[in-house]
Amino acid sequence: MSKSRGSKSKLSRDPWPRNRSGLAAGGRDHLRVARETLHFVSARMGTSLLVWLLVGIALALPAGLFLLQVNLGAMTDAWDGRPGLSVYFQLDASDPAIQEVVETLRGDASVHGVTFISQAQALAEFQSYASLSDALELLDENPLPASARAVLAGGSGLADLQRLADMVTSAPGVAEVSVEKTWLERVTEITRVISRLGIMLGLLFGIGAVLVTATSVRLAIEARLEELRVLKLVGATDGQIRRPFLYFGVFYGLGGGLVAAMLISLSLLVVETPLTNLLGSYSQNLELAGFDPSFLGVLFAIGGVLGVLGALLAARARLGNLEIL
Amino acid sequence: MSQIEFHQVSKRFENGHEALRDITAAFEEGSMTFLTGHSGAGKSTFLKLLLCLDRPTRGQILVNGVNVAQIPPVRLAYYRQNLGAVFQDHHLLTHRTVFENVALPLRVVGLKEKDIGKRVRAALSRVGLLSKEGLFPRYLSTGEQQRVGIARAVVTRPKILLADEPTGNLDPALSRDIMQLFEQFHQFGTTVIVASHDRELIETMDARIIELSHGAVVRDETEYASGEVLSDESHHVEV
Repeated sequence: MSKSRGSKSKLSRDPWPRNRSGLAAGGRDHLRVARETLHFVSARMGTSLLVWLLVGIALALPAGLFLLQVNLGAMTDAWDGRPGLSVYFQLDASDPAIQEVVETLRGDASVHGVTFISQAQALAEFQSYASLSDALELLDENPLPASARAVLAGGSGLADLQRLADMVTSAPGVAEVSVEKTWLERVTEITRVISRLGIMLGLLFGIGAVLVTATSVRLAIEARLEELRVLKLVGATDGQIRRPFLYFGVFYGLGGGLVAAMLISLSLLVVETPLTNLLGSYSQNLELAGFDPSFLGVLFAIGGVLGVLGALLAARARLGNLEIL
Repeated sequence: MSQIEFHQVSKRFENGHEALRDITAAFEEGSMTFLTGHSGAGKSTFLKLLLCLDRPTRGQILVNGVNVAQIPPVRLAYYRQNLGAVFQDHHLLTHRTVFENVALPLRVVGLKEKDIGKRVRAALSRVGLLSKEGLFPRYLSTGEQQRVGIARAVVTRPKILLADEPTGNLDPALSRDIMQLFEQFHQFGTTVIVASHDRELIETMDARIIELSHGAVVRDETEYASGEVLSDESHHVEV
């Protein structure tokens, strides 16, 4: 009851019943506006190309860094070697003390496996490899310490390695702990830096893309100001007046996405040969990951969204207080 | 209840100029009225308030009983879809053809293309420009451009047709043609209000005349004819 009274009072604020054109009419209007906007964009190809190039560059840099990060991550995952630590025991360390350290390492969840090398094994290995083996025979006692090498399990990181080192350094019988920071750890750190750089650049260049689109849409609004005034006079809603410019944003953003995809694929072509050679020297094959249809889809979607944001920004600033006459 | 009612409407601009003073007037549905007066008398302001291009400082403007100043901004568009407006500077879009100019309001209300074609051609036929639908406005004479503006204003079959100095740039013969067009639309039942300073021309038309001076009504022919009010040319007496 109260609901119907409420809606009646709402209706009575219009002098005439509202013209309800329906979804079909809305769809027709969207199609017409999209067609007209596409025509407008293609008729000013010089300006449009410039905008696409600017938006494309703004998208390509963070997207390229993202690809780099994905590939470095994949490379480190695929690497056979695992980081670990080596524990060297004092020459006079007791067997129980050594055993306790080895068991402590074996019992840790982040450890994949522990290899214990006794003093005798160390000497035997040394003698089989080193040319100085004869010299060792001149010594009274074996100078090589017993050692244990712990290898980290997959998913464990540098923090686990450091924790294990701290844990065993103060244990009785331990002379020295050597943490093996391989180049893979460094790559992981570089990947992290690239990831953060990518986020920062993504934000900055995203803002840049929005501003470029906003400026271009603003120019388009200025060029059609007279038409907008007439449209408002004949009863166009704010949505209808904004609509062409949102399509501008979409077209500029999608075009920017296309340019970004082209730039990235061009860059990949350029670096392919030297990268293959570089990875070949580390016995790695070049298998670029990430540059796939889903990546392109996301790139286009981000371009479209940034374009719409720019268009909204321009429309809000210029059309908000548009005077009809 | 009249279709349009002005109740003690005043409009004062920020610079202190009072464009309208305490105007009270009513317009019946399907009536035809001329607003006249010297330049700056308040004719254009009167029409702009009715179009909701501006708001009165005091008083109320009711259309079908609704105070138009209280129509929320988001719904003003639907209000304007029921109005037709013609201006001295006809505001045609130079990069669109005559057909496209006239079709604009129909696209706004969401008509189908085939209906738009029919309605636009009917309106152009009514103003005698059917043969020029494919031309751009710059290839038309001033009088023809004004007629395109009128076709655009009437193509949606508005409830109210407002015209601000529609014959301002035209010679007397063309002006008469234009006024006769307004007369025709009035015959179809549209409420027509035309602001014009051309007193000689409007005196020849069979319509109500309201004269404004310094923002106030100084003559309302309907009331004058009934003998209720006003000394005709005094310019000092307010209704």
